[in-house]
Amino acid sequence: MSEVFESYERQYCELSANLSKKTSSVSYLDGEQQKQKISEVRGGLDEAEALIRKMDLEARGLQPNIKAVLLAKLREYKSDLNNLKNEVKRIASMNLNQAARDELLEAGMADTLTASANQRDRLLMSTERLNNSGNRISESRKVMLETEELGVSLLQDLHQQRQSLLHANNTLHGVDDNISRSKRVITSISRRMSRNKWIIGAIISVLVLVILLILYFKLAK
Amino acid sequence: MSDHIARGEDFEKKAEKKLSGWGLFGSKYEDAADLFDKAANSFKLAKSWDQAGAVYVKLANCHLKLDSKHEAANAFADAAHCYKKSNIKESISCLEQSVNLFLDIGRLNMSARYYKEIAELYEQEQNLEQAIVYYERAADLFQSEEVTTSANQCKQKVAQFAAQLEQYQKAIEIYEEIARQSLNNNLLKYGVKGHLLNAGICQLCKGDVVAISNALEKYQELDPTFSGTREYKLLRDLAAAVDEEDIAKFTDAVKEFDSMTQLDAWKTTLLLRVKEALKAKELEEDDLT
Repeated sequence: MSEVFESYERQYCELSANLSKKTSSVSYLDGEQQKQKISEVRGGLDEAEALIRKMDLEARGLQPNIKAVLLAKLREYKSDLNNLKNEVKRIASMNLNQAARDELLEAGMADTLTASANQRDRLLMSTERLNNSGNRISESRKVMLETEELGVSLLQDLHQQRQSLLHANNTLHGVDDNISRSKRVITSISRRMSRNKWIIGAIISVLVLVILLILYFKLAK
Repeated sequence: MSDHIARGEDFEKKAEKKLSGWGLFGSKYEDAADLFDKAANSFKLAKSWDQAGAVYVKLANCHLKLDSKHEAANAFADAAHCYKKSNIKESISCLEQSVNLFLDIGRLNMSARYYKEIAELYEQEQNLEQAIVYYERAADLFQSEEVTTSANQCKQKVAQFAAQLEQYQKAIEIYEEIARQSLNNNLLKYGVKGHLLNAGICQLCKGDVVAISNALEKYQELDPTFSGTREYKLLRDLAAAVDEEDIAKFTDAVKEFDSMTQLDAWKTTLLLRVKEALKAKELEEDDLT
């Protein structure tokens, strides 16, 4: 049984290697050839999908331990196939864009293409383009230097903020200590307060008792 | 608006009455302080800064009588902020009182910050010498609180003004010191070349050619990457131009540096001074020859 599976597997590997080669070469072509290649690749992808489905059916018919191994392999193949499909889709969409862009810009380029027929004009254009790129490079260098200065000042600000954060951290530790000390003070105050209350209560009760005793003895006489 | 002013005056009168009357349990100062606070708030809302400042000063005096120096100092600082918008001298005097109180309490951080504010106010008024004095005091206090970044910032300002006032040696020392300190710090080491450039420009202003070349070598030792930077190239060209007393070369070097990064006003002033000195020397030589 697994021989059938292995033969399917070999076919699939060949096909997928072929397809990946074709997709990488497709990006170097353009126009009609690209469209041809893409349809070829799509056909190959469908074949590969069919193979995977067949392999899946085979694997499910086998014994459980081999089944697990084969299913794992199948999952790998499926993900590879999905990657290939995505690549092809990407290239196809790029091509559509590219074709549309070409059509759009073709109309504009036609005049300049005809104008640069003779050599002198071509030389002038290339020197102009070189000058433009030189200017752009020096401008970008200026921007880079400005950005560098900006970065330096940002770093200085960060340093300052770091220091203030550290300082705040230390201050907060101090605050923490002070709060625990004040907590102790307040608990001692409340203890003393309740002690005083009891003492006053006791004194008042003693005084009341004494007054009652005196009154009693006075009246009793 | 006028509503706020009316309310503010109302509060102020009530507070004054409390102060002059006899309060129970000696709480009259606290109540008066509270009312003064509300009055000052209404004046601030009404944007009448002078009245707000005056009320804050009275509030501070109340707090002083209550012996809470911290509150008084804060009130003086608020007063100064109100006066900043209208009358700068009053503001400076309020800030000074506030700073003294903070120094008494021992909150050096706040006093350093307020010294810096005073110095900034002086800078706005273009009173550079006083500004230098206060920036120095602020830098010292920041240094003692180990807040090196603010200290460095203040010292930088000191150096800037010192150079403008032609105290070049002082400026050079400060810039070199800051560069040396920044080298060790990962965050600050990218600013080192800026500091060395400033120090180099001050050296040029001093006009001592031997010292300039010594300084350039010293800077290279300090920071190995310095020799690759455009700043070093500029300094070297300027030093060569001053040596050969060639104004065209000087202007070329400055123009080349300026085309890449705009030179700020301070550097332009100093470089202009160097150029004038060069021109004067050239004229002298022409006179002699």
